[in-house]
Amino acid sequence: MKPLGIYIHIPFCKSRCAYCDFHSNKTTSQKQMANYTKTVCKHIIEGGLRDSEYEVDTLYFGGGTPSWCGAKNLMRIARCVYKSFKVLNDCETTLEANPDTVDLKLLKKLHKVGFNRISFGMQSSNPMELTDLGRTHTFEQVKAAVAMARKAKFDNISVDLMYGIPSQTAQTWKKTLDDAISLEVEHISCYALKVEEGTKLFDRKDEYTFPDDDAVADFYLYAVERLEDAGYKQYEISNFARPGYICKHNYKYWNLGEYWGIGPSAYSFLNRMRFSYLPHTDRYMQAVEAGDAIIQNSEKAEGVERAGEYLMLMLRTTEGVSGEILEKKYLVCFDTIEACLKKYAAKGYARFSNGNWSLTPRGFLISNTIISDLLIALEKSEHITQANYSRMKG
Amino acid sequence: MKKQENIRNFCIVAHIDHGKSTLADRLLERCNAVTSREMENQILDNMDLERERGITIKARAVKLSYAAPDGETYALNLIDTPGHVDFNYEVSRSLAACEGAILIVDAAQGIEAQTLANTYLAIEHGLEVVPVINKIDLPSADPDRVKKEIEDIIGIPADEAPLISAKLGTNIEDVLEQVVAQIPPPKGDPAAPLKAIVFDSQYDAYRGVIVYIRIMEGSIRPGMNVRMMATGAEFQVVETGTLMPLGLAPSDGLSAGEVGYFTASIKNVKDTTVGDTVTEVERPADEPLPGYRQVQSMVFSGIYPADGAKYPDLRDALDKLQLNDASLTYEPESSVALGFGFRCGFLGLLHMEIIQERLEREYNLDLITTAPSVIYKVKRTNGEEEYIDNPLNYPNPTEIEWAEEPFVAANIITPTDYVGNIMELCQDRRGVFKDMKYLDDTRVEVHYELPLNEIIYDFFDALKSRTRGYASLDYELIGYRKSDLVKLDIMLNGEVVDALSFIVHTEKAYARGRKIAEKLKENIPRQLFEIPVQATIGNRIIARETVKALRKDVLAKCYGGDITRKKKLLEKQKEGKKRMRSLGTVEVPQEAFMAVLKLDE
Repeated sequence: MKPLGIYIHIPFCKSRCAYCDFHSNKTTSQKQMANYTKTVCKHIIEGGLRDSEYEVDTLYFGGGTPSWCGAKNLMRIARCVYKSFKVLNDCETTLEANPDTVDLKLLKKLHKVGFNRISFGMQSSNPMELTDLGRTHTFEQVKAAVAMARKAKFDNISVDLMYGIPSQTAQTWKKTLDDAISLEVEHISCYALKVEEGTKLFDRKDEYTFPDDDAVADFYLYAVERLEDAGYKQYEISNFARPGYICKHNYKYWNLGEYWGIGPSAYSFLNRMRFSYLPHTDRYMQAVEAGDAIIQNSEKAEGVERAGEYLMLMLRTTEGVSGEILEKKYLVCFDTIEACLKKYAAKGYARFSNGNWSLTPRGFLISNTIISDLLIALEKSEHITQANYSRMKG
Repeated sequence: MKKQENIRNFCIVAHIDHGKSTLADRLLERCNAVTSREMENQILDNMDLERERGITIKARAVKLSYAAPDGETYALNLIDTPGHVDFNYEVSRSLAACEGAILIVDAAQGIEAQTLANTYLAIEHGLEVVPVINKIDLPSADPDRVKKEIEDIIGIPADEAPLISAKLGTNIEDVLEQVVAQIPPPKGDPAAPLKAIVFDSQYDAYRGVIVYIRIMEGSIRPGMNVRMMATGAEFQVVETGTLMPLGLAPSDGLSAGEVGYFTASIKNVKDTTVGDTVTEVERPADEPLPGYRQVQSMVFSGIYPADGAKYPDLRDALDKLQLNDASLTYEPESSVALGFGFRCGFLGLLHMEIIQERLEREYNLDLITTAPSVIYKVKRTNGEEEYIDNPLNYPNPTEIEWAEEPFVAANIITPTDYVGNIMELCQDRRGVFKDMKYLDDTRVEVHYELPLNEIIYDFFDALKSRTRGYASLDYELIGYRKSDLVKLDIMLNGEVVDALSFIVHTEKAYARGRKIAEKLKENIPRQLFEIPVQATIGNRIIARETVKALRKDVLAKCYGGDITRKKKLLEKQKEGKKRMRSLGTVEVPQEAFMAVLKLDE
């Protein structure tokens, strides 16, 4: 049996956030959400993975705002997964939620049906910043939501924070971090705000003053330090957790685990194949109902490209990469790459420990630069064949 | 062979966009030289690049057969000429092969600088000028005003000038009639020793060089031994013939008055330079035709492959281009910053742009070019005088007794509204005002003397943008003048980048240095450390900018497992990185080199 993560995309929101470019629809139509649930279940059942060699060890409801979809629909989808797949007893089952779209009743119901992790979008504790981001909740509501989740017996709670917000200062960022820590949750994610084309924030970006790159870098380094102090260990560029609480589902994205994403614009990685579905709710639903093609684009990584994926993804984590895996599993000689890592280590951007190379927080900050350099080194690296393997090792 | 009385050799003189190629098309059509199915638009310009830019880069010739109303059939040899100042010498050689010229003037725009320059050139060569007013279909056409302009400014009668629309094909017949009536037939004794002028040549992989000639005296036929009087090269003629619209038409020979070609298994266009005289080895002419000169490069620039490994490809491409363009010169040079490349010499800026574009397009090369330079004349304190076309070789200020730079006489025609702007521009470019002449109520001709150095960057673009495209420019070299010049160096992280050095007038050095430093700051991506960008003269720093150290370059979120998107971004970044040049410890993208060439934007 092979482990599988399942991602369910819920493309509905109460309102659209100013920075969000994920596929989502602002809606209040119960009928639309119920129809969508029906389609997703059909997709789960008929998608071809049912009764396969997979067993599900993570299930993740992301969005959009899954909590906005209502307990009934979410439970129906979860049950459908249970019926169609072998699901492990301790399967990590996450719900993304906004603090103002949950109530105790909903949380209790979901916990009962198997949800055991909840991730709240908190973003900031500063009212001005929340307004600029187009968030519809306050920090008080976050506090209340976390308390409700505890009451509903959730013992694995995460909050998302954001830095690089218009007008954000070192003080407001520090306050947001302090407030998040005071919630005593198990997991905290900190994402740098990226102004994507096609968002409200992008259209109005000239009206705002954003902290510059240097300030954002300082915010990041401060967060890493502050969170470590509070017992949250960094395990990925943007993710921090108390011991034992890293997000198993998200970790699959980085350690090349397999996942199946269901819903419009959802991404999958199965059998070395990366693909995504039509990024439009109605078109996706019509196609699933009609049995038409729904794959938007796909690619299959082979040979040295897989080594590249390993490097770029695992270097996002504090676990890092190992020369042994690169040579044994991906058949690429590590020397050139290691030389490049050493160059960065000498400047404090990378480090070698426990047999693995990983980036330091300062290195994470410029990880695109480092990884693109490593990809150049990878191009120059010798490939290991049976003929030269013994010679190299000998 | 045709009777001389039935031959007319002529060219078309026009300002760019006034419809030269379109009229040529119509003449070809009218003479049934090409069927409409074969008719590609503007057949004379048969290089892609030419068609796109709407300019003729290389001269071409074509023979038309015109059955006139008088019952006679005339052989009309149309010799196409380049219209741009860069190719002045080629124009003059094409004119020397003709007895007449059609002068096309746009019925709306009237006479422009290039029209004037080329018309004067035609008159100097004793050509009969036949004015034609084109684009009469335009709503803004004012043929009467243009006729008056032609008479007042050029001083030739324009009463009978055909009023045509080449685009619509209106009154094309009139043009042909005027050519036959006004342009005299060629003279020359077919029995005299051979004298033929080379007005173009083209390399053909199968036949060797095809030499385009006009026979002035005597005749040429296959089997004859000929000598090029300037280069001294001798060949045995393999084939002669005439230039038909869709290809070469072999004939038994060509005699005095005719225009055509010969081949002689010639390997290199350098042996058949434009303007040279072809004569017979056994019975040579006493002296060559007048007017020959060696083509000289006016503008120089370093051309380097963006990817150092492509150096052999660049060399091959230049070798191939030179097969057809004897005016392109190049020799290997190397730069610390850019590695191995070539120092190339061009007739002018347009020529340079065309060559660069052809290298990139036809040979698929990614290039880095250095700032164009002219040839400076320097007298060293030790008494030695030398010509310097490369800033790298410019001596230290202390070793220079004096320096001179080439000047041009520029002739600008503009609507009166823009005179102020033009004067401002010329003044800014160190121009010396000579005089100004009103052509009529609305237009004026302005004469300036300008350093060539100041117009090779972006003068033409600046002129166009300051006059909404209305001004036209023509210039010619008038010699060297003493000047206060300095070499400006650019330092990145404390090291001089040789490829960015250039020579500039002292007064402009500060502004230039500042601007380049700013441009580099914008175009050099942040790196792991802070990079000072400095402009220096000798040991003096005149400008400084700083590229701050890179702190943040990260994708904070892997969007719900969308690895493909992230992979693409990193792939793009990787490819961009590979195209960068390492200058010491600093990585410089190609765009940075390009940006310093376009300071005005």
